[in-house]
Amino acid sequence: MLSPLAPRKKTLAAAALLAAAAFTLSACGSGDDSASSPVSVVSEEGGSDKAATVLDQPFAKPDLVLTDTHGKKYDLRAETKGHPTLVYFGYTHCPDVCPTTMSNIAVAMKALPKSEQDDLRVVFVTTDPGRDTPAELGTWLKSIDSRFTGLTGDFATIQAGARSLGISVEPTSKDKNGKTVSVHGTQVIAFSPKTNGGYVLYGEEATVDDWTKDLPKLVRGAKP
Amino acid sequence: MKRAALPVTALAAALALAGCGSGQGAGEPELSVSATYMPQPVAADMAAGFLTVTNRGGEQDELTSVSSDIGRVTMHSTSGGTMAERTSFAVPAHGRLVFRSGGNHLMFEQLKQKPRQGQTVKLKLGFARSGPLTVEMPVRSATYNPSTGH
Repeated sequence: MLSPLAPRKKTLAAAALLAAAAFTLSACGSGDDSASSPVSVVSEEGGSDKAATVLDQPFAKPDLVLTDTHGKKYDLRAETKGHPTLVYFGYTHCPDVCPTTMSNIAVAMKALPKSEQDDLRVVFVTTDPGRDTPAELGTWLKSIDSRFTGLTGDFATIQAGARSLGISVEPTSKDKNGKTVSVHGTQVIAFSPKTNGGYVLYGEEATVDDWTKDLPKLVRGAKP
Repeated sequence: MKRAALPVTALAAALALAGCGSGQGAGEPELSVSATYMPQPVAADMAAGFLTVTNRGGEQDELTSVSSDIGRVTMHSTSGGTMAERTSFAVPAHGRLVFRSGGNHLMFEQLKQKPRQGQTVKLKLGFARSGPLTVEMPVRSATYNPSTGH
């Protein structure tokens, strides 16, 4: 990206044109206008052009010992030492951001050479251990990528681990309508295979393209 | 916020061209729905859906219900990793109500079967003032991104 602004401008102009076209076509329409999805782009501009935030002061990998999807003890530091590692805190009863985040990584990962795919560790830590049993987590992750690791266990341990990475999560609770509400983290943290430090953050808006572009660097511990 | 200026101008131009011809008083909401999609869900019984309701009329309306044959549908807003169920969302006059990934979303639960990419989900949207709208929501890939279209 020599000039990060130029492509963004182009996208905007294109989106505006598409939106204009969509509106013209949809005058008096039935309301079924699904082909014109770029309309939604128009008001969603903003934020930075890069999905990645490189940290000056990397996070230490949390000392988390939890239970994996096979019901076995999993020591995060020991199991991922020397491997490029992505950690995300979420839950499976999450319709939108959690599956999208994990699916985006899964798709992008397939663009890596096989040896690097094998080297990469993707760890999903549940923020809803009451509902996300090892079996539940396993089923959910398997339909995204069976190589992903899912961890569950004591909520306080999970919360402390998240907090050490600057991620705030709350226990699952009931809202005033009696509906179960869980909280997911809003960031994925990339840990370097060289230093084991968490040195890059990705927000939930990171796309498949962002991940595809950055993963080849992350697997080497390089800055994206 | 300079960025917003361009699309707004383009939209205004489009609106001018897209008049319906019928006598539209400024006092009526005029709704249309676009940008609908459902990412193919990971869970077997839960999915999210997104759409934009555009109001070209001079009066605001309110989205008060969403229903579908495939399961229960509820409306949610999201902030900072927490979602909250809402019973209605305003559709401002000359404005839009946007459901998009990471923000407001429709949540589908108790699905009779898992929606697959290529299928279409039929929705009925109910409003406080306007009549109901029927919407066909296409099921896209799990990683579909409306800004790139894939």
